[in-house]
Amino acid sequence: MQIEREATGSDLVLKVSGRLDTPNAKPFEQSLLAAVAETSGRITVDLAGVDYVSSSGLRALLVAGKAMRAAKRELALRALQPQIREVFDISGFSTLFEIT
Amino acid sequence: MTAPSDPSIVSSLAIGASVEEIARVSEWLNEMADGDDWPDRLRFGMELSVEEALANVISYGFAHVPHAPEIRIDYLHLPDTRVAVRIADNGTAFDPTAVVSPDMAEDVEGARIGGHGVRLMRHFLDDISYERADGENRLTLVARLGTAE
Repeated sequence: MQIEREATGSDLVLKVSGRLDTPNAKPFEQSLLAAVAETSGRITVDLAGVDYVSSSGLRALLVAGKAMRAAKRELALRALQPQIREVFDISGFSTLFEIT
Repeated sequence: MTAPSDPSIVSSLAIGASVEEIARVSEWLNEMADGDDWPDRLRFGMELSVEEALANVISYGFAHVPHAPEIRIDYLHLPDTRVAVRIADNGTAFDPTAVVSPDMAEDVEGARIGGHGVRLMRHFLDDISYERADGENRLTLVARLGTAE
């Protein structure tokens, strides 16, 4: 798993690539929470490069989403591959995040 | 004597009780998928289901047992072009098929952190069965090769 950061003013885009599986879930969650703490604006997670996600990966996004909501900020997702989108739909996560 | 309807084991893998082992399981599963030319949807769905099941076993199955953890994974050919992955472990008795998936949350605040794995397994597989025998949990994940898009 790799994460590239692109900052525009106070907003941040995190471009994630690789697998969001159980072994990667903790570092992924830590990267997300670090981004929440280090920025003050909107965070968008770009999942175009992610070809696999399990519920551990979903959990990391949910933890970050809760942290953002507690700070009255928005966490958005974008560019989900079809199978990734299916996992979000089945888990009910598609309605929890703004997805573009 | 083996009954004709008994499943046949194609390959087996023994792993330790740590999440890092999931990467080794994925590699092994890829070999099975290559050998039987699994469709992409089955590759994704079975890998996901096996990971969800193993994450449960590894995270919770051995917290309160005195003996050394043993986890074995078998790949089986079943009749009617079906295949199965069976996960056997000597951890605490736990039937994931009896878990009730959480209601769909309406917002991030109300969303539950866990419990989504079983819903995903049911979606991507044709059948899931569980038995407790000889001190082992045995979870069998079944998929049909023919109809899995």
